Amino acid sequence: MDSNETSTLVPLKVHGVLPDPNTETQIVILRDERNSEILPIWVGAAEGNAIELALKGVTPPRPMTHDLIRSFTEHFNTTITRVIVTDVKNSTYYASIYLQAGELERTVDSRPSDAIALALRTSSPIFVTQDVLKRRGGGSLEAWLEKFEAKDFGKHQV
Amino acid sequence: MVDYAADPPVRSACCTAPIERGQTHMITQMKVRGLMFDPYNNAYIVILRDEENAEMLPIWVGKSEASAISFALENVAAPRPMTHDLMKSILDAVEAKVISVVVTDLNDNTYFAKVHLSYEDSEYSVDSRPSDAIALALRTNAPIFASENVLRKQTSEELEQWLENLKPEDFGRDET
Repeated sequence: MDSNETSTLVPLKVHGVLPDPNTETQIVILRDERNSEILPIWVGAAEGNAIELALKGVTPPRPMTHDLIRSFTEHFNTTITRVIVTDVKNSTYYASIYLQAGELERTVDSRPSDAIALALRTSSPIFVTQDVLKRRGGGSLEAWLEKFEAKDFGKHQV
Repeated sequence: MVDYAADPPVRSACCTAPIERGQTHMITQMKVRGLMFDPYNNAYIVILRDEENAEMLPIWVGKSEASAISFALENVAAPRPMTHDLMKSILDAVEAKVISVVVTDLNDNTYFAKVHLSYEDSEYSVDSRPSDAIALALRTNAPIFASENVLRKQTSEELEQWLENLKPEDFGRDET
């Protein structure tokens, strides 16, 4: 990671997964360590579940899809060094997964949901670019989320 | 006959020893013949058949796994990489190759599979659900096999009958 890149990246933690009361999708809430930035990303139900299982530390009896990916990287001594939410276009977020296999470093294009599900399973850091944070919507979103969280966090009501 | 049930547990992260040779006999190559909706269980069934249509292996899978298999069967490229596309990207990025996938065992209606890969100069065998193994095999053009003991455990007669009872309208439907 060069210094230029580092300076524009904000580390994020997965704060939780919320059901979107209006659709069948789920919302992954990412926050920075000081809780001053919040990044909600809408994901599909399966991806939301994959993230939630990892957050809760649940080990399913059979490996789920992201567990299988982790298993591959473990077998090949490949490390996921970090995942970065790199871009947002027309409300679609883009992410990159950074892999280290020996001397070799590779970057793989991913949906943020898969990147986060993998990061949680491999204890890899999650970052977002400053630029994406700036473009993610406005203060009204924060206000909406605060209201939403206080009332509905963890409840599956419609 | 290889007893897959006696396979050692999945290797931990530390162990990267190659798999033993000779693990791939007594297996039958299968093709994915189709995907159907099972209205009784509100799940999807992947139908595997051998070349001669002598053997059939139905595998019940969840909705998202069914959709992953369906995208590959219909050769549809999603606008963004789906999870199994990402899986393939990661394998491609480190130059690992899927040699084959094998449905190895059936216990209490749960199927077990192995993904066989080559990476650098070694071969690896990784524990997987059959749905993930099949979704990956279809994306990497890797052959799919079923072990003989899985096919034997399978009570195909009953199944044929059950499948006959399913009306054509049930195929491909995604509602109850």
